[in-house]
Amino acid sequence: MKNRLRVLRAERAWSQQDLAERLEVSRQSVNAVETGRYDPSLPLAFKIADVFDLTIEDIFTNPAKENDQ
Amino acid sequence: MQSNNPAQRRYIRRFVPAMVGYVVVLFGSTWVERVYHPEGAALFLLSLLPALPLLAVLVVMGLYLAEERDEFIRNRLITAMIAGIGITLAVTTVWGFLEGSEMVPHFPTFLAFPLWCGSFGVVQCALNLRDRMGGGGA
Repeated sequence: MKNRLRVLRAERAWSQQDLAERLEVSRQSVNAVETGRYDPSLPLAFKIADVFDLTIEDIFTNPAKENDQ
Repeated sequence: MQSNNPAQRRYIRRFVPAMVGYVVVLFGSTWVERVYHPEGAALFLLSLLPALPLLAVLVVMGLYLAEERDEFIRNRLITAMIAGIGITLAVTTVWGFLEGSEMVPHFPTFLAFPLWCGSFGVVQCALNLRDRMGGGGA
């Protein structure tokens, strides 16, 4: 799933490891989500949104609306 | 597998004693069988003993799957395990038919477990490699 994780991390000067520690997951997980190879569960998506103080829709692109953007 | 989260550390702490137990019981039961030549129920129990630590390994793996909190790691392990089941079923099915025609030697069924472990281990390594090659970096 397309997302803005890399940009949001860069804005905060966080490495993947920094984000992984905040989310209590492995760096591999952050990398897989960020590169769109793994779609996070709803609880993890909410956790990601909380960490950035944004909504899920602000971070992840709705696959059904990808062509609209 | 990197032993860097609590579930993975617990897995290693359980897995190692089970495998050490397997080696000890395997050598012990083989020695008892050769020296004392037990029969009947005693031989049945003696033959069963080496399987018990391996059953414990299956339980240890199940516990790890249940306890792993990193959903991506858990998902990847499940994928590798299912692929391992597929490889094991494919190999044993083909082998079984070839064996029926006496084209290949007998395949002892106790080898199915190490075959599955090896298969899902290879798939796990391949998935690890794919994720490393996937890049994304720092």
